[in-house]
Amino acid sequence: MNDEGEGLGSEAVGGFTRRRFIEGLSRVGGMGLVMAGMDAFGVGIASAQATPPALTGSGSGRKVLILGAGLAGMTAAYELQKAGYQVQVLEARDFAGGRCQTARAGFSLTELGGARQDCRYDKGQYFNHGPWRIPHHHHSVLHYTKLFGVPLEVFVNDNEAAYVYAETGKGPLAGKRIRRAEIAADIRGYASEMLAKVVNQGALDAEFTKEDRDAFITYLRGEGYLSASDLRYVGTSDRGYMVPPGAGSESGKVSPPFAFKDVLHSKMWRSLSSVATYSHQGTMFQAVGGMDQIAKGFERQVGRYVRYGAVVDKIAQNETGVEVFYTDAAGKKASARADYCLCTIPLSVLRTIDLAVSPRFKQAMTGVAYMPVGKVGLQMKNRFWETNHSIYGGIVETDIPDLGSIAVPSTGYQSAKGVLLGYYQFNASAAKISAKTPAERAAFAVEMGSRVFPEYRDAFESAFSVAWHRVKYNLGGWAAWSADGRKNDYPVLCEPDGRIYLAGEHLSYLGAWQAGAIESAWQQIGKIHSRAQA
Amino acid sequence: MLRTPSACSKSLALVLALVGGVSLAGPALADGAKVYADACAACHMPNGEGIEGAFPKLKGSALVVGPQDALAGVLMVGRGGMPGFAGDLSDDQISEVLTYIRSAWGNAAPAVGKDAVAAARAHNRPEERESLNAH
Repeated sequence: MNDEGEGLGSEAVGGFTRRRFIEGLSRVGGMGLVMAGMDAFGVGIASAQATPPALTGSGSGRKVLILGAGLAGMTAAYELQKAGYQVQVLEARDFAGGRCQTARAGFSLTELGGARQDCRYDKGQYFNHGPWRIPHHHHSVLHYTKLFGVPLEVFVNDNEAAYVYAETGKGPLAGKRIRRAEIAADIRGYASEMLAKVVNQGALDAEFTKEDRDAFITYLRGEGYLSASDLRYVGTSDRGYMVPPGAGSESGKVSPPFAFKDVLHSKMWRSLSSVATYSHQGTMFQAVGGMDQIAKGFERQVGRYVRYGAVVDKIAQNETGVEVFYTDAAGKKASARADYCLCTIPLSVLRTIDLAVSPRFKQAMTGVAYMPVGKVGLQMKNRFWETNHSIYGGIVETDIPDLGSIAVPSTGYQSAKGVLLGYYQFNASAAKISAKTPAERAAFAVEMGSRVFPEYRDAFESAFSVAWHRVKYNLGGWAAWSADGRKNDYPVLCEPDGRIYLAGEHLSYLGAWQAGAIESAWQQIGKIHSRAQA
Repeated sequence: MLRTPSACSKSLALVLALVGGVSLAGPALADGAKVYADACAACHMPNGEGIEGAFPKLKGSALVVGPQDALAGVLMVGRGGMPGFAGDLSDDQISEVLTYIRSAWGNAAPAVGKDAVAAARAHNRPEERESLNAH
């Protein structure tokens, strides 16, 4: 196993987020684990429920105390009050939304053990340091954005013009930025050519009829842009031009393909798959003006039930009800009683709170880890990625150590400035970079990013970074269940302990996604309602 | 499937880097300190004091100076919010960092050998971490 571990800091040596992860799984666990990992990614885990549960009958004034005004808590508050329940929400922060946050001028964050950061972006600039994209099949999120009138716009996840940048490959392409379309056309073209050749040599004759073979060759010709005459890949105008076609006599000059072995050893194909991972397929969306507009949409509906600045100290229960003790915004001790409690506090935080549940339930809460996650938003004084590189939204995948991806904004095209995602890290890389000061993190992102875009150095204006594992009331980006934890502990936590119910992305198979939070809340309020009706 | 494992050269480079960087008589503690600074210090703080209510103190921690297998197991799979580092740190690095935290800040417990780490890795099935993805 040791040889298969990647070692500190080398997570990002693998680069290429999705691919890196899948390959990581194949290294440590073989193909079965790869498949399990793909399932965890979203293959087969479309948001399962499109609408909230019908809470028929009435809550008859029964009271539900909700802990946390993130998307799970506010979903529960909205649906329960509509069904006639009395709801109260205790929220530790002075704003609603949980991780659904957007950094803009005036927003500040002090990480545990870190300095206070005040976001100093220009007016109108912002950065989604929490959730930043919504798959088109996360029906539950889209249900509420529609219902609450939160405008959406397209989030450009895949962009053929975006660069791939790999330093760890070999050959002439190493350390060069190459457009995704060029790599895709070349590797698939050459692969199709080779396959066509061996098929024509009879390699698959045992399985193929002549009709099969003809159909397959036709497919390969289209897939790989192979020449009709000799089934060779000699490039294609669709991978791009050295001189673009224009008016009059300018027919354009097609750029020649890279040599097969150069592409092969560049490792850049690691950013490609036949289709994008399910959770990242177009169409993806973002909220216009920042993802926190989704939180605000909920808050408009249920903000009146939320007590802000209420930090939970203790959660008690007996046969007849629950009582939650908290410290209010003024530092005063207080408590609230209810018939049921729906607790959406992340397990990383909940484990530090005095909680009256069974030993088995408590033990199950330790069966989960939380993912260190780091992001930085860099405000640039011009949109060089658009003006100099024609990249309008999308993700530049790199294998720069500890950097991960760079993403340019899917909004504000052709305006003066923009905030780009300078890094997106997980686990060891996130832990490592988060030990730096905010200024050092920004300097790291600018230095590393300038390998791909030298314009960084001149254009960089201000940064805002987050290390979610160091954010009070979160202590992690999202729940990371081990296979054992998912099997043994997760089912325990999905059921109530007495009158205490848990909800959040951590209790879904849509981990980290907003849809996971919403649908987990739907599931638990359905259970509360059935019980209250009984 | 066209998914090709690609870590061999990386892992090899890493192993070479480790072997090359550490003389046998060498400063094991210095390497453990480096791993600590990179992987642990952001939460447990450079002085091992942690953050009350969030990240446990390692200085004077019973777990840290206690039985090696339990401690190594926590490094592998995480615990109570802490992530596992099995996929990110080699046995050598885990051995070095555990040895470091068991002897830093006034802690005084024996070094943790690579064999103990390898045993913990085998015992804790850390490879089955399910979900680590960009969202």
